[in-house]
Amino acid sequence: MPHFATEESLVHVAIAAEELFHIGPFVVTNSMVGVLIATVLLLSAAIWVSRNASTVPSRLQGILEFPVEFMANIVRSQSGDRWRAVLPLILTIFLLVLIANWVGLLPGVGTISINYTDAEGHTAAHPLIRPASADLNFTLALAVIAFVGFVTWGIRANGLGGYLKETFVANPAYMTPIMTPIHIVSEFSRLISLSMRLFGNVFAGEVLLAVMLALTFAVIPAIFLGLELVFGFVQALVFALLTMTYITLAMAGHGGGHDEEHDAPHHDADDAGLSENYAAAGSNRP
Amino acid sequence: MDLTPLAAGLAIGLGALGPGIGLGLGVSKAMEALGRNPEASGAIFVPYVLGIALTEAIGIYALVIGLLILFV
Repeated sequence: MPHFATEESLVHVAIAAEELFHIGPFVVTNSMVGVLIATVLLLSAAIWVSRNASTVPSRLQGILEFPVEFMANIVRSQSGDRWRAVLPLILTIFLLVLIANWVGLLPGVGTISINYTDAEGHTAAHPLIRPASADLNFTLALAVIAFVGFVTWGIRANGLGGYLKETFVANPAYMTPIMTPIHIVSEFSRLISLSMRLFGNVFAGEVLLAVMLALTFAVIPAIFLGLELVFGFVQALVFALLTMTYITLAMAGHGGGHDEEHDAPHHDADDAGLSENYAAAGSNRP
Repeated sequence: MDLTPLAAGLAIGLGALGPGIGLGLGVSKAMEALGRNPEASGAIFVPYVLGIALTEAIGIYALVIGLLILFV
């Protein structure tokens, strides 16, 4: 059954990922196809490097090493002694989000559709591929991984008692009833802001591209494709850097609730820890 | 008369005002710092990106509210 776009509005906007088919009770959505493509790309790059790596890197190896070195330098300069243990998580998040964002810019993504018939027998054209970051499930899952990451690092660095004390007991003890709820809310607001930021940016980018493709012609959408290339990189970097900062703060102690809403002694300690790291990063410069 | 699209437009339009001003302030200060001390670009980069991201998050919240008004 052919699908006529003229019956609907000019731009097709779906806020949730659309279903493609079922495998038993398991629903496969188009954002899963997107993240699968990103995973295959990353895995084949990793396999290629592990087979063909040489001391004098070839041109392709140099390209593949560049993002790894880039993130390794940032993490080394920011997160203190244990940067080697923190790096794999940060690097994985960065590379996956980066590739998942850029998959959305490939030709055919969002334009190639397949017909989907739902339980009531309605048939609609659903795009075959959707960039994974334009699905809140993906970004929320990443944010949960990051959340588990920085809680685990806080417990590992300060001990379970130390971590609970940081989170649930305020510095002047009589402030505890006021500060503890704020600490808990600020911990969980990180989860929401991490996931919503990535989702909002990539989804808004997709809508922007669709609108520009529908309204303009010739080379004008290409300008926005170029912009989205930059935004995809920046958002991947932001997600990875925020995860790194949260982990660093959790490891440094005084980790719970470093955001703007808390008492002065905590604040000073956090700032001192951060600025020491930043000073260390800049001190080897002339 | 359905005012829902107007509400969504106002949500993102007004919600983008504050982050727009904030981003402008942040970027201008970072550029000033770079102009004074170009060697410090490496040290400025990470706090700059983090600050920009936290500022921009407010605009994204407005976008999410706009989407919620439109679709939910």
